[in-house]
Amino acid sequence: MADVRPVSDRVSMLLSCYLDGELTRDELTEVVAALESDLDAIAEFRRLKDARRIVRTLPMLHMPLELIPGGHLGEQLSAYLDGELVTAEMPIVSTHLGTCQDCRRELAELDRSRTAVRALPGVEPPEFLAPRIEDRKHRRGLRAAVAVAAGAAAVSLAFAVTPLGNGEDPAQVSIVDLESRHTARASTGSAPTAVQVGAP
Amino acid sequence: MTMLRRAATVGGFALLTLGLVASSAVADELSDYIDRAKDSTYTANRLVVSVWGEETRISSSYVEYSDGTEMVRVDSTWSIVGNGRSVVVNDAPQGVAFVTHAGVIDTGRYSVGDVTNVRHMRRDCHLVEVMEGDTVRAVILFDSRTGAPLITETFTNTGKVFRRSSLQDFKAYRTYAAPRDVDDVPYEIVMPLQSELLPQSVGGYELVDIFPAPGGAEQGFYSDGLFTFSLFALAETSAVTGFESPMPFITASGSYDLVATPQDVRIRWSDTNNQYVIVGDLPPDHAADVLAELPAPDVRSMFSRWWTRIFG
Repeated sequence: MADVRPVSDRVSMLLSCYLDGELTRDELTEVVAALESDLDAIAEFRRLKDARRIVRTLPMLHMPLELIPGGHLGEQLSAYLDGELVTAEMPIVSTHLGTCQDCRRELAELDRSRTAVRALPGVEPPEFLAPRIEDRKHRRGLRAAVAVAAGAAAVSLAFAVTPLGNGEDPAQVSIVDLESRHTARASTGSAPTAVQVGAP
Repeated sequence: MTMLRRAATVGGFALLTLGLVASSAVADELSDYIDRAKDSTYTANRLVVSVWGEETRISSSYVEYSDGTEMVRVDSTWSIVGNGRSVVVNDAPQGVAFVTHAGVIDTGRYSVGDVTNVRHMRRDCHLVEVMEGDTVRAVILFDSRTGAPLITETFTNTGKVFRRSSLQDFKAYRTYAAPRDVDDVPYEIVMPLQSELLPQSVGGYELVDIFPAPGGAEQGFYSDGLFTFSLFALAETSAVTGFESPMPFITASGSYDLVATPQDVRIRWSDTNNQYVIVGDLPPDHAADVLAELPAPDVRSMFSRWWTRIFG
């Protein structure tokens, strides 16, 4: 087999992005051209794929909380709010937030700050789906209802559990209980469930 | 045919979709979107509006969603639903947990229509149409970055919206406002059972599994791949409480008691032997199709029941 020459940094970077599904259409064309004509690029592509496969099979490492600077999340909270945590960091941060009241308090403060900033007058006009959706005449009635009803949205439709019978019926079944059973069963999605007593 | 999976109505709140395929990054199947939605994490205020006949129902709630579990706050009460479990956090919280080995139901009833890339609330989104034959059954707006369903609209077979669910003040993270101390909540574990009482398929829906229910009843869980409902078969003498101010739902097969909420519909009737209750998110035309294939309401039974309740 011939020696594999290192491919250019750009091709290597594009191949990596290709594996991440992050290429633009033009970049994709460039990668396809490289893989069709450049043996070195093909070798690099295989090397990257192998490396990723190996990394995926490694056991997940859980960073001890003591190793997190200061014992708390600090600037990772901002990254969490921005959705910028890399995959491996996310379970660490989630676990820590589940147990650390200080970090949850800090998260709440950050969240409030961001919400306040969001509430400032926008510099970018909101973009709605209206142009397309409003063309659908049959939906207009509902939209009007939504607008009228939005002010009254606080009125919830809780159904009180009020016994109907005279006390002699052998079984009293609450419709709220039946609804709860349905939503619980429907929430299983596609995966089989096992009994895990504890928090849902 | 594109496979559809059940859009999980965690917390009883229906999710929702549409587009032109713009790039190879767009998922080909609705199941891909649904899977991403199930893996998403977000916090938002959810507004749900549903219309049944002349009646409009509205709810507004604060929602945290993470790890396939939805935490919903209405007023000061939290409901936590996901992965087969449900618990309402109140003074005496109690939960129910379902065990199931059933797989995905694919009735081939639905396909993906157009998928369009759009901007909504300054976010990149995919607008996905869900088709039932030539009819648009639902339109779902998925957030591209997180996969969360920002808006879901469901239509009747005549093209009218009957339910719309939208996430407002959307944040792509959890705020951890939901209660966490529910580890000690007692759960009723519900195991599947074998029964011949309930039909295997009805109105295009397939029986997924059966469970015991309160009062010696049986709960049949049905799905058509997108919508779901549970059919409860109870003893004729059982009293269903909380079924207040029902409206008549008249179909070719008879007259039924119906209560609509923003998230679901509840239908009750009796034949000569049993009392039945349906709870689910099925559209009105689907409800009529389902009822047409189940035991019809028995008028004498209904009068008898009310006579017994009133006069003993």
